[in-house]
Amino acid sequence: MPDHGALSLNGADLAIAAGLVLCAGLVSAALRLHLEAKLAIASIRTVLQLLLVGAVLGWVFRLERAEIVLGVLLIMIALAGRAAVARSSRTFPGVTLRAFLTLLLTGLLTTFSVTAAIIGVEPWYRPQYVIPLAGMVLGNSLTGVSLSLDSLLETLATQRGRVETELALGASRWEAAREPLAAAVRRGLIPIINSMMVVGLVSLPGMMTGQILEGADPVEAVKYQIVVMFMIAAATSLGCMVMGLMVYRRLFNDRHQLRSDLIQDR
Amino acid sequence: MQAASSSRAERDLQVARVGVGVANRPLLIDVSFRLRPGERVAVRGPSGCGKTSLLRAVAGLDDLSRGEVTLGGQSPQQMGWPCWRRQVTYVSQEPVLFAGSIRDNLARPFRYRSAAGAFPKDTARAWLERLGLAQRWSEMDATHLSVGERQRVALVRALVVTPAVVLLDEPTSALDESARQAVEQLVSERCDHDGLAAIVVTHLESQALEWCDTSLDLREHVAREHEHA
Repeated sequence: MPDHGALSLNGADLAIAAGLVLCAGLVSAALRLHLEAKLAIASIRTVLQLLLVGAVLGWVFRLERAEIVLGVLLIMIALAGRAAVARSSRTFPGVTLRAFLTLLLTGLLTTFSVTAAIIGVEPWYRPQYVIPLAGMVLGNSLTGVSLSLDSLLETLATQRGRVETELALGASRWEAAREPLAAAVRRGLIPIINSMMVVGLVSLPGMMTGQILEGADPVEAVKYQIVVMFMIAAATSLGCMVMGLMVYRRLFNDRHQLRSDLIQDR
Repeated sequence: MQAASSSRAERDLQVARVGVGVANRPLLIDVSFRLRPGERVAVRGPSGCGKTSLLRAVAGLDDLSRGEVTLGGQSPQQMGWPCWRRQVTYVSQEPVLFAGSIRDNLARPFRYRSAAGAFPKDTARAWLERLGLAQRWSEMDATHLSVGERQRVALVRALVVTPAVVLLDEPTSALDESARQAVEQLVSERCDHDGLAAIVVTHLESQALEWCDTSLDLREHVAREHEHA
């Protein structure tokens, strides 16, 4: 093996890593946590999904065509939209479409702002940049969007009386929804704000770690990471707000009524 | 019912052929009545017959399945829904108070854009005093009050908005005799002085027959109106 620069991994290295998961499985068995099956399935999925993604990305990077990059982005957004909705304990008709539209708008806007205005990617759809950055944006915004969606639906379902009391006293739908909406956006932003507070102190972010392992100058890696953190923060805040507004438009009608009948438990 | 003067007739609440409930599960199919300023109508009937649903529909919190409701000839659409609800104000049987003092709760409707004037603090405090709660005026966290106390605060909160019609859903269900009388007196006074009209859901025979001018008995999806002697 070379003694500097990027170290390439072979099959034996991956097998040793699998041994670490095996240790976790043994701990689970010893303590009767009953997580062995789940751990095994999760590990197998990790391997298969990443191998598949590696193959697909290799193909997309070689072709470097705008329509294929956009197609991949759309699939990523659709999957992220579904995941964002699936994590919420309540739902309403049309929620998946709204999550998709939210992530489409805010994910593409932030990703392409960074690739075009900051990194200056040429051509604009260059997959080596666009796809990993979009992946980070979507992965983080979907967490924020799902947390704020969960919080908003929870509040509107369990505190219907409170919202309707405001409406009954002459509040507009916006005045009645404002506090639950603000609380939901706050809830969605907690993870990204927390990670911005401790970034670098507790752990090095995955992308930066990757660049450093690849042999990049840490200062360069840090600059990229700052851009990425800001991009993720912007995408998550925008995502939580846009999703909140879409839920608001769906669950409060133009007669200023709360349609709590549309909210269903999962 | 007595004939109303022309100026007061502008605030008549007209409920015309109103249906409540969803198509395959109607609660009420044809309810009509007129409520003039100063009048009180009791709404009675067995549990689940649609008393609360009628009040919520009149307040515009739920849609009507048919018919229309107007105040002084104006529909909620014409008036704007928040303004409608300020004129036709619903007080739930299980009133919700917001975090903060009683004073904050009473002032809250005056933060909305539909508010026409400033919070009448002295009036609110005087009314609260009549219901035996003024000493807790600035006590923090009104959410810790008992159900009976919440009912009285919620009533004053609705009255200070000075609606044309107040929709009271069992307003005294958690009150003892003297508190019930204080509530009835306060509402009666607003009816006499300001022409406030009230629709009162009640299970109390005496409250319906002695305090209200008419009764609306809801049974088998329809309403029958009775004037009291």
